[in-house]
Amino acid sequence: MSSSNPIEKKRGTRLRSFFRIMRAHPGLLAGFIIISILMVISLAVFISGLFGGRITPYDPIQLFVGPRQAPPSWSHLFGTDTLGRDLFSEVISAMPTDMGVSVAVVAVAVAVGSSIGAFAAYFGGMFDEALMRVTDVFFALPVLVLAIVISVILGPGIVNMMIVLMIVWWPTYARLARGETLKIIHQNFIEAARLGGLGRVRIVFRHVFPNMIYILLVYATLDVGTIVLVYAGLSYLGLAVTPPHVDWGQMVNLYQDDLLSAPWLPLFPGLTIAVSVVGFSLLGDGLRDALEVS
Amino acid sequence: MVELLSVKGFTVTYKTQWGNVRALDEVSLSIEKNTLVCVVGESGCGKSTVALSIIGLLPQGASVANGGEINYKGVNLSSLDENRRREYRGTEIAMIFQEPLTSLNPVYRVGDQIAEAILIRVAREKGKGAELQTEVMKNAYDSRSIRRPSRLRIRSTMPPELKAEVVQALKLVRMPDPEQVPERYPFELSGGMRQRIMIAMALAEKPALLIADEPTTALDVTTQAQVLKLMRGLISEVDASILLITHDLAVASQVADRVIVMYAGDIVEDASALDLFGEPLHPYTQGLLACIPSGFKDESQLKPIPGRLPDNRNPPQGCKFVTRCPFAMEICHKKRPKLLEPRPNHRVECFLYGE
Amino acid sequence: MASEEQDVLRVEDLRKYFVIGGGLNPFSKKEKFLRAVDGVSIRVPARKTTAIVGESGSGKTTLARAVTLLDAPTGGRIFFLGKEIRKTAKPKELYRNMQMVFQDPDSSLDPRSKVKDSIAEPLHGLVGGDRKGIYKNVLKSLEEVGLPEEYADRYPTSLSGGEKQRVAIARAIATYPKLVILDEPTSALDASVQAQILKLLLDLQTQYSLSYMFITHNIAVATYFSDTIAVMYAGNVVEYGQTRSVMTKPRHPYTVALVSSAPLPNPKVRNLLNVEIVGEVPSAIDPPSGCKFHPRCPYAEKICSETSPPLEEIAPGHFVACHFVEKTA
Repeated sequence: MSSSNPIEKKRGTRLRSFFRIMRAHPGLLAGFIIISILMVISLAVFISGLFGGRITPYDPIQLFVGPRQAPPSWSHLFGTDTLGRDLFSEVISAMPTDMGVSVAVVAVAVAVGSSIGAFAAYFGGMFDEALMRVTDVFFALPVLVLAIVISVILGPGIVNMMIVLMIVWWPTYARLARGETLKIIHQNFIEAARLGGLGRVRIVFRHVFPNMIYILLVYATLDVGTIVLVYAGLSYLGLAVTPPHVDWGQMVNLYQDDLLSAPWLPLFPGLTIAVSVVGFSLLGDGLRDALEVS
Repeated sequence: MVELLSVKGFTVTYKTQWGNVRALDEVSLSIEKNTLVCVVGESGCGKSTVALSIIGLLPQGASVANGGEINYKGVNLSSLDENRRREYRGTEIAMIFQEPLTSLNPVYRVGDQIAEAILIRVAREKGKGAELQTEVMKNAYDSRSIRRPSRLRIRSTMPPELKAEVVQALKLVRMPDPEQVPERYPFELSGGMRQRIMIAMALAEKPALLIADEPTTALDVTTQAQVLKLMRGLISEVDASILLITHDLAVASQVADRVIVMYAGDIVEDASALDLFGEPLHPYTQGLLACIPSGFKDESQLKPIPGRLPDNRNPPQGCKFVTRCPFAMEICHKKRPKLLEPRPNHRVECFLYGE
Repeated sequence: MASEEQDVLRVEDLRKYFVIGGGLNPFSKKEKFLRAVDGVSIRVPARKTTAIVGESGSGKTTLARAVTLLDAPTGGRIFFLGKEIRKTAKPKELYRNMQMVFQDPDSSLDPRSKVKDSIAEPLHGLVGGDRKGIYKNVLKSLEEVGLPEEYADRYPTSLSGGEKQRVAIARAIATYPKLVILDEPTSALDASVQAQILKLLLDLQTQYSLSYMFITHNIAVATYFSDTIAVMYAGNVVEYGQTRSVMTKPRHPYTVALVSSAPLPNPKVRNLLNVEIVGEVPSAIDPPSGCKFHPRCPYAEKICSETSPPLEEIAPGHFVACHFVEKTA
């Protein structure tokens, strides 16, 4: 038996309910803050780069801006490496790369995967069967092996690694969307839409996708964190960026031998990776609780 | 008539995201021995909360206000701590729910589940009640527990005396094929049969009070008739009382000795079945009776009650029914009516009958 | 009984079978059928209400869905407004005149669409027209079902069950169809809300000359609300006729049991306690031979397990499918 729940959202109270949700879910707030900071910095670095300027205290690739292998200090927040490069500037300048790759990969995987999954579930039949088998194959592919193979064939590089990750990741969303679609299409409002003269394709866009959006958002947010880690792994193996460009995974590789002599060098890039992963996890989990998605 | 259980001035509030909901508002009622009492009301009236309060299974967000009492055999159950409360749950007071499929454990045969109930009773009679109950009762009644139930499965066959008692329990609930049914799993049985199993399990404890929360709502009408007929007959056979929660006044009229009508957390009328249907005093009861379709549409008129149920988070100042009542007076907007007894053994909460 | 041209819907020997797999062997030829609707022939007279009454497994909901072609029928013919629709119907034309209200108010409306968009959907899809005109029609529909204008911009989650059903009804009558199929529209609602919705439906029927096909398991509601009634058991119609006639003097043994199982709100007449129905609804995959009710029937004889009785007219307009109908006279 249903009962009424008259919660109205007038325009002014949207902001108020936003703050109410944030206060009720501290994890969500923490994640939101962390990721906002990272995103803002990434955007700032990217835009300043377009105009030829920079926002970092020092030029990240310039050598000898400070003493060699200096530990963290007020002038060099993360310290310097053996060639005198400022670590903080290096880490910050890599942010748009790591963030951008992760978000782009997940965005494409979600868009492509969920579309395929939703249509397969709704139209069913051979199409659906074929999809299930194809995703089975893709699930069996190990990321690292595939990455290495692609890098041998096509050469290393950020774009190639992004392609690898997209190929490996879209089936997850196809499966997820398929499962959600199957739940949604048994609801009566889908049949009411058919009785309203809507064609099946329009029903998928008009009724299926809007009802999936929350759960896709939650999973995608969590996945961005995962991709940050996986991409860091690939770039650690040297398959992604090429010098003089840097990103965090490659930095860890570069500085791992200095672990005992200058521990701040591998530590800070690694810590930054960890913080972003945790940030996305908090944000994703917080969204899941706040949106009451299962 | 001997009183078995009474509820006095019981108030329950649920904390929800949208505010505090007053589910029960100073509710008082009394159940006598060997009677079938029906609590009737629509959604949000608090009838399920009454049942859960008596058996002590209120959900986590619920808080009970001070001063409320649930008196059973001289003990105030609501003042007991959980351990002592557990001694009554399932043993003196048993409960069955609306959806039998989720009440029965799907991975155990039904015969085992009934046997489990019997073993608990045996252990209690021998005085070993408390320890065995802690484990087994938790699994029978607390869905949050994940510990495995007792040692039943170590033996692959049941000892013959136990099997005989299980069959006896099934015969009590008029189960067809009582010798074969214990081997079945719940999913193999129909809704009506599963509900009978639940009743059998509840009765295996030989409780003094059986609470049934909408036990037939999910069943077909012919199955419902069979189960209700069974419950009515059981009262004399097993020396128990039944508290039946339902939203269906017609069902209440067919099986109840006494009917209690609830509205938005209050008891509005409390009378014997004959008195309530013969002379409904509260305007809500009258309205509810006028809502039940009877006869053909060209002969009678359905008179729906206008308006909506009140918001339990912000209850109105006066009588909760005032916005929908055709007899509303000035005082009804200002003060809450008290439970009066304008006719012998027929209680109403309404200013029409005094103050 | 109304003549055939006055029937808005006529169904002949309608069948809907679902294929149940043949076990673990993917190459098995042994397919089993779930005979949800097993040869149903009924008529829905124009501007009147025909109730389809039955318990679980009777096939009443499947019948409703087969009539709307949401689930393609396996066999039989459907005549809507005089035309056979199974082969020749185009959805857009059909649904302009045939609409449906579903049982569960929570799943009837898209939680991500506003009320006005849900109601406008069939207007956009079946009738067309400009946004302003359609919006005006939406507001008119809201008024007709007794909801205030402000509800147009609300989302279904903030509505009560009764209000959601009103929106579903508004959506169903938006194109002023000739036939509205109501699949247990009030079963999930409280008694007082049910009465409001039933009254609304009756008012709308008079106002717009609607025909209703009303599916329910509630005998009292069916008796009150309908003009003709069809009782279904395990995929077949066992009794059919004017509601007054069938409910005052039911003749099929199942109908007799069904009617006597329905609780009357009268403690002085405890009919429920005298009901002697036994057994359960049979399996739809492996139904009993002959008359499907014979294992539970107190009057069953040999012929009942051999041949399925056809529907016969035992009184003007009153049809019963029973070999021994004289036993319930």
